[in-house]
Amino acid sequence: MADQLKNSLPKKPLLEIAGLTRRFGGLTAVNGLSLTVETGELVSIIGPNGAGKTTLFNLISGLDAPDAGAVTFEGGDVTGLSAERLAALGLARSFQHGRVFGNLSVLDNVLVGAHTRLRAVKPQIPLVGPLVELALALIRPPSVRAEEERLRAEATEIVRMFGERLTPRLDKPAHSLSYANRRRVEIARALALHPRLLLLDEPTAGMNPTETAEMLEIIRGLKAGGLTILLIEHKLDLVMQLSDRVVVMDHGARIAEGPPAAVAGDPAVIEAYLGHKAVGAANQDGPNQDGGRDAEGDAARILVAH
Amino acid sequence: MLPTTFGPWLDYTINGLVIGNIYALLAVGLALIFGVSHLINFAHGSVYMVGAYIGWLCVTKLALPLPVTFVTVAAGCGLLGAVIERVGLRPLRNAPRIAPLLATIGLSVVLDQSAQLLFSPDPRALPTQLPTWRIAIGGGSIGALDLLIAGVGIGSAGLLYGFLRFTKLGWAVRATALDRDAAQQCGVDVDKVNRTVFAIASALGGVSGLLVGMYYNTIDPNMGFQAGLKGIVAQLIGGVGNVPGAIAGSLLLGLIESYGIALFGTSYRNLFAFVALILILVLRPNGLFARARRLPPEPLTGTFIAPSRPLVLPKWAVWTLAALALALPLVVQQPYLLQTLGNAWLYALLALSLTLVAGTVGQVSLGHAGLLAIGAYASSLLALDAGVPVLLAVPLAGLVAAALGTALVYPAFRLRGHYVSIATLAVGEIVTLVILNWESLTRGPIGVTGIPPLSVAGKPLVSGQWVYWVPLIVLLAFAALQSRLLNSHLGRTLRAIREDDVAARSYGVDLNRYKGLAFAVAGFIAGVGGALMAHFYSYINHETFPAPVSMLALTMVILGGLGNVAGAVLGAAVLVGLPELFRAAAEYRMLIYGVVLLLLIRFRPQGLLGTV
Amino acid sequence: MTDVLLRLDRVNSFYGPVQVHFDLSLEVPCGQIVCLLGGNASGKSTTMKVILGLLKPRSGQVVFDGQPLTGLNTPQIVRRGIGSVPESRRLFGTMTVRENVLMGAYTRSDAKSVAEDYEGVLDLFPKLRERHAQQAGTLSGGEQQMVAMARALMGRPRLIVMDEPTMGLSPLHVDRVLEMIQTINRQGVSIFMVEQNASLALQIAHRGYVLQTGRIVLSGPAADLARDPQIRDAYLGGAQAA
Repeated sequence: MADQLKNSLPKKPLLEIAGLTRRFGGLTAVNGLSLTVETGELVSIIGPNGAGKTTLFNLISGLDAPDAGAVTFEGGDVTGLSAERLAALGLARSFQHGRVFGNLSVLDNVLVGAHTRLRAVKPQIPLVGPLVELALALIRPPSVRAEEERLRAEATEIVRMFGERLTPRLDKPAHSLSYANRRRVEIARALALHPRLLLLDEPTAGMNPTETAEMLEIIRGLKAGGLTILLIEHKLDLVMQLSDRVVVMDHGARIAEGPPAAVAGDPAVIEAYLGHKAVGAANQDGPNQDGGRDAEGDAARILVAH
Repeated sequence: MLPTTFGPWLDYTINGLVIGNIYALLAVGLALIFGVSHLINFAHGSVYMVGAYIGWLCVTKLALPLPVTFVTVAAGCGLLGAVIERVGLRPLRNAPRIAPLLATIGLSVVLDQSAQLLFSPDPRALPTQLPTWRIAIGGGSIGALDLLIAGVGIGSAGLLYGFLRFTKLGWAVRATALDRDAAQQCGVDVDKVNRTVFAIASALGGVSGLLVGMYYNTIDPNMGFQAGLKGIVAQLIGGVGNVPGAIAGSLLLGLIESYGIALFGTSYRNLFAFVALILILVLRPNGLFARARRLPPEPLTGTFIAPSRPLVLPKWAVWTLAALALALPLVVQQPYLLQTLGNAWLYALLALSLTLVAGTVGQVSLGHAGLLAIGAYASSLLALDAGVPVLLAVPLAGLVAAALGTALVYPAFRLRGHYVSIATLAVGEIVTLVILNWESLTRGPIGVTGIPPLSVAGKPLVSGQWVYWVPLIVLLAFAALQSRLLNSHLGRTLRAIREDDVAARSYGVDLNRYKGLAFAVAGFIAGVGGALMAHFYSYINHETFPAPVSMLALTMVILGGLGNVAGAVLGAAVLVGLPELFRAAAEYRMLIYGVVLLLLIRFRPQGLLGTV
Repeated sequence: MTDVLLRLDRVNSFYGPVQVHFDLSLEVPCGQIVCLLGGNASGKSTTMKVILGLLKPRSGQVVFDGQPLTGLNTPQIVRRGIGSVPESRRLFGTMTVRENVLMGAYTRSDAKSVAEDYEGVLDLFPKLRERHAQQAGTLSGGEQQMVAMARALMGRPRLIVMDEPTMGLSPLHVDRVLEMIQTINRQGVSIFMVEQNASLALQIAHRGYVLQTGRIVLSGPAADLARDPQIRDAYLGGAQAA
C-alpha cells in the first residue's frame, strides 16, 4: 500500500533548471536554458566550444549567479546559493582545465573533497563553532582521530579505483602529476564528497584513447552504483555509450534533447556541429561532389554512428 | 576650532585640490603601471622620494633654474623607473604573481635605505625660488606654487592624453593594457611598452615629490612610504588601472583630507585616507566609477605560490635542535649574545604568525607589525592601568590581538591577491594612527613608560638567561602547536584555500571561517610576541612597531619558506641574529634586508626550507 | 625559394613538469590552408603559442621560410611575416575598430601604404567601414571576427595562424568566416588553423593533421582525412571499450 502510494506520487527530478540566463556584457553565454536530471540518470551536455556549457556548470555549482531563471535541487530552490552551501547539499564538480591543489599531496586533495562530511571535528555550534573546531584539531580526541582515520582509508580506497595510475603517487604533490592524472585526482576529490549529483566537465580532455576508455569504465561503474551524473563531453563516442539522455547546447540555448541516437540525427544538431551549409548535404545523404562536401556527409554519419 | 566663515573653507578646498593634484601625479603613474603589468608598484613612493632629493640637489647644490630642475628630476626618475622595470621586474615575468609584488617592496626598502645612508635620515629644507605673492579670491587665496602645481598636474594629464590617443607607442600602451598577448601578436614589443610606462610613471612621480618638497619646504628619506600609499588609495578610489579615474580619485582624496583636517586636526590626516581605502575595498572594490559587478580578475587557475618540494626535518633533528637551543645559556654566558638571540626568538613569533597567514593561507599581510603593537599595548595597559598580573596580561593581550586583528582584517577576507596586501597594509597604518590619536587610552605620542617586567612568584625575569629562555620556550610551544595544527584537517583546508580558493569553495570550504581562524591564531601568536617585547623593553610608543617591521617579518618568512614553521624560526634567527652577531652597523641592516628579499625572490623564491 | 612556408621539426614543449608536445612535426606548404584538429587539451592551442614564440619549446625548432625562428620573441616573429587571429578574437575592447585594425600594422612604418592597405581591408570587409569609430568590444561575434582578420592582414603576413576561428559564432557567421578564410587564402596568404570542429575545418582546408595528447596521430590531404574512418577514433575520442 505504502509502496503504491510512493509510486503514484509524481517523481521529483533531482535537478531542475528553468529559464537560466547569464550575460557577460554584450554576450549572452546562457540563454533561457531549461533542463532536468532525474535521480540515477546520466545526462550529457554536448555542443561546440563557446556554446556556454562551462558557464552553465558555474551557474549550477554556485560559482556564478544567473541574471534570470531558477535552479532547483532535490525540490529546494538553490538559485544563487554559494558554492560552499551547494557542496554541503551534495553537489560536486570537476573543472574543465583541472583545478587541483598543486602543493597538496594526492591524498590531501581527495581529503579536501570530504570536507563537507567532517562531523566529529566540526560540531555544528553557532558562533563559537570555529573555535571549537580549532580546539578539537589541536587536542584530537579519539572521535576526531577515528574520523580522520576513516576518511583517510576511504580516500585511499577511492584513489585505488584509478589503479596503478594514481595509487603509487598518493603522497606526491599534485603539481608533479601529468594532465590526465590531475583529471583523475579531480574526480577522486569529487567522489570523496559523496555527491548526490556529480558534475563532470570534460573528464577525458587531454587523454589518449586508452586513458579515455579507462575513464569511460570508471564513469560507467559510478553510474551503475546509482550516482546521478551531469556530463560535459566532446568525445561523442563516449557520450553515446554512457548517456541516458543528451542535451545539445549552442549559443547558450538548448537546441535538442533526447536519447543519444535521436539527438545524433537531429538537423539542428548537425547544423551546430557542421555549419549552416552542411544541413542540406546531410539531409540528402547522397553521393558527394567534392572533398569539402564529402567531409560534411561523413561527419554527419559520425554523429549517427551509434 | 571649527571655521565659521566661508573664507577658510575656500582655502581648504584650494589646499585639497592642490594636494589632490600631487596625488594625481602619483596615482596616474600607478594606474598606467597596473594597466600594462597588472602590478601594484610599491616602489612608486620611493621614486617620488628620489625625485624630491634630485630636486633638492639641483636647487641647493647646483643652483639650477626651476625649469631645468624639473626636467632633471623627470629625466632622472624616468631613468630610475626604466631601471626598476629592467632589474626588478622583467626577470620575474614568468614567476608566480606574488613575486613582482614582493620585488617592488624590496626595491622600495633598498631605495629608501640608500637615501637614508646618502643624505642622513634628517629632514632637509627644499626652498622654492618662486615669488611669494598670493591672489585673494573670495576670502581664500592662491599662491604661485599652488598655480604651478595645478599647471603641472593639468599639463601632464594633457600630455598623457595626447600620448595615449595620438602616438603609435601610446596605442601600443593601450593595446598592451587591454590584452598583452594580442598586442604581442600585433608585433608590439611589450618589454619596451613596460619600460616606457615605468619611465613615464616614474617621471611623473618624481616631479610630484619635488612639488611636495617645495610645498611643505621639507623632504626626508621616508617621505615616500606614506605618499606611495596615498597614490595607491587614490588609484583604488578611481578603480585600478583607470587613468581618468585615478585623477578623479586623487582630487577626491585631497579634498577629503583637507576637509578632514579642518574638522578634526592634522594628526588624523592619514587616517582618512586609510579608512577611505578600507571602505572602498569593501563597498566598491572596482572603484567609484566602475560598473562591473565583480572583482577585477585575478588568475583563476595556476597557483599564486610556486610549486615546491619542502625540506622535511626529521623528528629527532627537531628535538636535538630544540634541546641545543635550550641548553645554550649553560655554555654561552655573554648577556649581549643571549639578548640578541632572545630578540630573534621574539621576532620569530612574529614570523610564525605571518607564515601562517601569508604562507599557509596565502594572504600576504603587509601590516603584521600592527598585531605586535596591539599585543604590546594591550598587555602594558592591562598591567599598568588595570593592575592585571603580567603573567595573565600576556595571554590576555594575545586574545585581544586575535580578536581585534581578525575583526580589522575581516572586511578584506573577500579580497584576493594584491588587494589583501594593500588592505592589511592600511590596517597596520590605521592601528598606528589610532594609537597615536587615542590619547586617553594609549597616552598618544608620549608612549607607555615603566612597563613592569615579566615575573614569576614576585621574581622578575630580567637577567640574560631569562631574556633568552622565556621567548624561546614560548616560541617552541607555539611552533609545536602550529605544526600540530598544520597536520590536522585544518592544515590541508587552509592550504587548499591558498592553492585555489574557487576549487576550495566548490568543496564546501567556507573561506571566511577558515581565514578568520588563521588570522585569529596568527593574531594570538603575534599578540603574545608583542606583549613579551613590551615587558622586556619596558617602554613602547607608536613608533616601536613601524611598517618596516612588517617588511622584515615578510622577508623572514620568505627566507625560511612560506608556510614553513621551522623556516620562520630559521628566517628570524638569520635576519635578526646574524647582522647583530657580525656587528653590522645598525644603519645598514634594513638595506641588507631589502637586498636579501630581492635576491630571494629572484633566485630562491621557495626560501631555504621550501614552501609547505 | 621553398615550397614549405612553415615547418615544425620534432618539437617538445612543456608547461612546468607536464609535457604538452611529443616530437611534434608538421608542415604548411606555401599558399595552402592547413588545419590542425584535436580535442580540448590535446595541445593544439599550445602549437599556436610555439609558432608565435609565446612558449619556447624545450627541444626541436620552428622553421619559417627556410629560417629557424629559435631565439626570436613574438614581435620579431610577427615581423618575419606571421599574422595571428587568436582564440576568441582577443580584440582591444575599448579601442575603436579603426584603432584595432591599424594596430595590425604596428610593425610597419610606411604610413602611405598602410593607409592604402587599410582601404583595401575595408573593401574586403565593408561592414567595418560603417563601424570604424565604434568600440570593438561592442561588436557582435561575427563582426569581431572580421576585425581580428582585418587586423592580422594589416601586417602583410605571408602566413596567418588562427585559433578556432569559428568558435562561438552563429551558423550563418560560421559560413561567412569560412568564406573569408578562403578569400584571404586566394590572395596568396597561407593559413594554419587550429580547430576542434574537424568537419568545419576540413571543408576548406587543403591538408589536415590530427593531434591527440600532444602527438600527431593522423595526417594527409583534407579530402582523404574527411573520408578516413580513423578520424572518428582519433578526433572524437574513440573509447572502444565495451
